[in-house]
Formats: sequence, structure tokens, C-alpha cells
Amino acid sequence: TPRTMESTAPESKVQVRLSTRHADIELPEDPGPLLVSTALNRYNLSKLVNNLLHTDTHPIPFEFLVNGQFLRTTIDDFLTKHGISAETTLNVEYTRALIPPLHVSSF
Amino acid sequence: STHLDPDNPISPETARALWLSHETSTHSLSQQLTEHLRLILAPTLATKLRGDFRTGKRLNLKRIIPYIASGYKRDKIWLRRSQPSKRSYQVMIALDDSHSMADSGASSLALKTLTLVSRALAMLEVGEVSIVGFGDTVTVAHDFDKPFTSEAGARVFSQFGFQATKTNVRGLVEKSLGLFEEARRRQGGKGEELWQLMLVVSDGICDGHEEVRRLVRRAREERVMIVFVIVDSSATPQPAQQPGVSSTTPTATTDNNSPAGNPENLPEAATTIPPPRQEPQKTSILDLQSVEIIDGKVVRWKYMDRFPFGYYLVVRDVRELPNVLAGALRQWFGEVVGSG
Ligand SMILES: [Mg+2]
Repeated sequence: TPRTMESTAPESKVQVRLSTRHADIELPEDPGPLLVSTALNRYNLSKLVNNLLHTDTHPIPFEFLVNGQFLRTTIDDFLTKHGISAETTLNVEYTRALIPPLHVSSF
Repeated sequence: STHLDPDNPISPETARALWLSHETSTHSLSQQLTEHLRLILAPTLATKLRGDFRTGKRLNLKRIIPYIASGYKRDKIWLRRSQPSKRSYQVMIALDDSHSMADSGASSLALKTLTLVSRALAMLEVGEVSIVGFGDTVTVAHDFDKPFTSEAGARVFSQFGFQATKTNVRGLVEKSLGLFEEARRRQGGKGEELWQLMLVVSDGICDGHEEVRRLVRRAREERVMIVFVIVDSSATPQPAQQPGVSSTTPTATTDNNSPAGNPENLPEAATTIPPPRQEPQKTSILDLQSVEIIDGKVVRWKYMDRFPFGYYLVVRDVRELPNVLAGALRQWFGEVVGSG
């Protein structure tokens, strides 16, 4: 599926603060809040965390929890569904995905 | 929903008490700003001798030879001291009423800033003051043609709840340019030199930077000056950043945009167990990073490197405001007068 992020309508942004409970995948340095497009989904966020971990070439598949709920859609849809405004800084927790994404088959 | 949220009303009594408390606590700072502004905003008194007149104070030596050559016909040979034209100002203060202001704790500093600046302008008596709120929509909280009294200040306060679910800066600039145009038309007949200034008081987090940039250019063409006052409620107060004049095409730092996975990119300490994570601290907007995924690549840059307003200042403590704001305005006047 195409994963391009070309902006069409004026896109909305939200601040996210990344964290994890697992010491082995903690970010080498805390980037602080990051301002991201609300059009991002799990796949894009996974890319971002791998970038921050410098693991881009051997990416680790991640799952995300926003305020304790698994993110299965875009951030935008998540916010709408849960009645959260993009004016709030989101606490985004990441964890290793139990089921790897489809395109990773070498297990 | 608008920011006039019926679930979150500020009672007139509360608004009044808050206004009076801020008015008292910022009184000497207001006076300080008034003195700065008096020097900056007043027309230059040292006027030049200029012109060619039939009578005057001093001879224009360049005109003497043509005067004789013309058989004493071209007799406009005198210089006169020209009077500075009277200036008047229309200053709009636009206060961010969005929820991020409450979320970050910037709202209190923003209200103090509003009090300080509006009081200073009222004491200065150089023109008209208007106050608008913006979030999802733009609301006029105080009109240009009404006097700005303490009563008016309390009324303005009662209209802010910091509950708006959007920060529509594009809409703000667009609407304000319309309001300025109206005010200009109303003032038109008075034969005074009119200067229009807009001060945006906000945490600075907004979307749609490209469109905002275009509108900032339009404002410049319409001779409306915009100064963006970022209230930054980060934990440790540091000296204010000097008024920034960001270039219109800032170069972004796109760290980690190099081919990823390069072993050189791995930090040495990656294998050691990091210390337990600290409670996240409040972060200054100067450290905020923007992230975009462009063609599958993660691109990061400092948010302020692409901030769409050319004139901005970052304030962490209301005590910094008189000097920092005066500095920005002085710089702007220098550029406008220097180029005109
Ligand atoms: Mg906001």
C-alpha cells in the first residue's frame, strides 16, 4: 500500500512525547516533545522511533499506545474517536510489536 | 466550539479580581515600557532643513547660481525647517485562547503580558488599542474606537478561557488585516500619519506555516507590522532571546537524514544501560523539534528555524518584556525609517 505523506488539506500537527518501559529500546537521548502531523499512523511512528534509535537499516517493528490505548489508525482518527484535541501533548508509549508487520517475514 | 465555553465561564468578579491583581503586579513594568515606547514611537524632533522656498531661515547655496543665471527669476532659494507630521497608532493585541496555552501553563504569563502591554499603551496615549482572541475563530474582545480602561481590561479577561481546540493563526492574520483596513478607513480623514501594529501573544505552536508566511508578506505590503511574542513557560527561566529576525528562507537542520544505519551514527553508550528516565521536564519552544516523513525518510528540524513570523521574541518572565519588546520595536522602526 502507498505510504506517501504528501499534504493536501492544511494538515494538523500535534506534540508527542515518546517513552517506553523497556530499557533495551530506550532512546539514546530524550528528544523532548516532537511536533508531528496527525496524519501519522503506527507505521510512520515506527519509522520515527527507529530513526531516533539509529536502527533504520534493521528496523524493529513497534506498537504504540496513546494515553494507554493501542494506536490502530492515524493519530487524527484516534483523537477524533477519543475526543482528544490536538492542543494536548500526547504521551506515546512504544513497545516491540508481538506480531511483526506483514512485510517482515524472516522469522 | 468557540472559546466562550459555557462550561468554563470566568465570572465577571473573578475576571475583575485577576485583572486588578495583574495590573498591580505589573504596574512598574508598564511604566518602564511606556518610557521606552515614548522614545521609540514619537516622531523624530530633530528635523531637517529642506526645500526650496521664497522665504526662509537659511539660503540654499545650491540655488544661488541658477538664481543669478535666471536673471533673478528662479527665486526659491531658501531652506525651511520642516515640521514632523503628527503620528497616530493603532495597536492590536491578539491573545491565543487555545487549549495548548492552558496545557503548557503559558496562559498565566500571557494574561500578565496582555495586562502589561495594554496598560503601557493606554498610558502612552498615542492612539487606539484593540484586543482580539483567537483559537478556532477570531473574536474581538475590545474595539479600536473604545477607550481602554481598567473596566475594559476586566471585560477582556472575562472572554478568555483557553479552551479552544484549534490554533488558527492563518485565520487570525487574515481577519486582522480586514480589521486594520476598516480602522484605517475610519481614521483616514484626520490627516495624521497612521501606523498599525499587531502584537500576537501565544505559545507559538501553530500549523499551516506556508499560508501564514504568505499572509505575513501581505501584512508587510499593507504596512501592518506584526510582532509575535512567544510566551515560553519552560521550567528554567533563562535570559530572553534577543528579538529574532528570522530569515524568510531559513535553512533547516535535517539531522539523521543521511543514509541511516551507518555504524558511525551509533552512539558509543548504546550498549550500556541508561539511567532511569527522569520525569519529563517542560521543554522550551527553542528546543522543540518538528518531524516529517518525506518520501519515506524521517526529517527533523528545530521548530523555530522555520517559524513563519519575521519579528518574534521569546519571553519566559514578564519582567523581561519591557526591554525585549522595546528592542524589537526599535529595530523595526530603524528598518522602516531607514528604508523609507
Ligand atoms: Mg494552541
